[in-house]
Amino acid sequence: MIRKELVAASAEPLILSLLSRGESYGYAIIQEVKVRSDGKLQWTDGMLYPVLHRMAHRGLIKSRWGESETGRKRKYYSLKKDGKAAMANHHEQWSLVHAVLAGLRKEQYV
Amino acid sequence: MFDLETSIVDWRRQMLAAGIQSPVPLEELEIHLREDIERQMKSGLNAQRAFEDAIQDIGKANMLKSEFEKVDATKAANQLKQCRIVMVACLGVESLFWTTCLLLKIGRFSEITAAQQMSGLAAVAVMILLAGIGLFGHGPVILSRKVKALICTSNGRLVGLLWAWFFCYITGPVGFLFMLPKFDGGPLWIMLPPAGILFGFIGGLEKAALKKTAMADLSASQS
Repeated sequence: MIRKELVAASAEPLILSLLSRGESYGYAIIQEVKVRSDGKLQWTDGMLYPVLHRMAHRGLIKSRWGESETGRKRKYYSLKKDGKAAMANHHEQWSLVHAVLAGLRKEQYV
Repeated sequence: MFDLETSIVDWRRQMLAAGIQSPVPLEELEIHLREDIERQMKSGLNAQRAFEDAIQDIGKANMLKSEFEKVDATKAANQLKQCRIVMVACLGVESLFWTTCLLLKIGRFSEITAAQQMSGLAAVAVMILLAGIGLFGHGPVILSRKVKALICTSNGRLVGLLWAWFFCYITGPVGFLFMLPKFDGGPLWIMLPPAGILFGFIGGLEKAALKKTAMADLSASQS
């Protein structure tokens, strides 16, 4: 299981990256993260919504009410221009951290 | 006998009691809860078990409440940010106005002495300095939104009253630049530094609100 600190820090870049593929809603976002991480990245479901709302207030994403295939009300989220820029920034920073870690790890096994 | 709808109503009541009172978050959480229950029932669980699993997945009310409080802090920070932009614009226009009047000795500033001119310019500089400390330095940390609103309003009224007093009783209500020939730089000292404090205070509140959000993030990640 991934540490809480890392889960919290990765929430925003993951949400931005998922929404860059098209609009989505809370439940689907959580399921997608679970599937892609083989269940290792576990969010408390309810915690996603405050994060989404904060990102919306910061102008990174926008939302609209819509309907599911079964007619149930749903709130869909999509990326805004500032969100795309924030995502690029996150990718750059996480890539840097990854590169440094990978480099250090490689040195250990040389 | 377990009744799903009654249980959802009870869960909703618990959330409301815990302080999640905004209709949108609660509605979203309920939609999420229902989707989760539906999915689990499709995979073979009975309604009671699916409900119990779903409310566990969604999290405890007090934990969710503290997360939604961070949303409010972000909202307050955004409002103050907009306020700050207006404040910086007003500060710029006001500084330019008084500096131009003093340097070019326009209207009632026409007869001011070199010392009064310097004193007036110093008052403008103090206003910019006081505003700068709050806008770009360290601002006060006030967590209550009500207190922040009260401070902004009272500061605004104070400065408004000072300016009203300045225009109406010292310079005259109409044509304050040209009606009276003499000007004593003193009133600028009464008017401009409080304006600087107001500008700075509002800027500082925004920084404090942002700091609070960041601190809340940190404490959540450490809990």
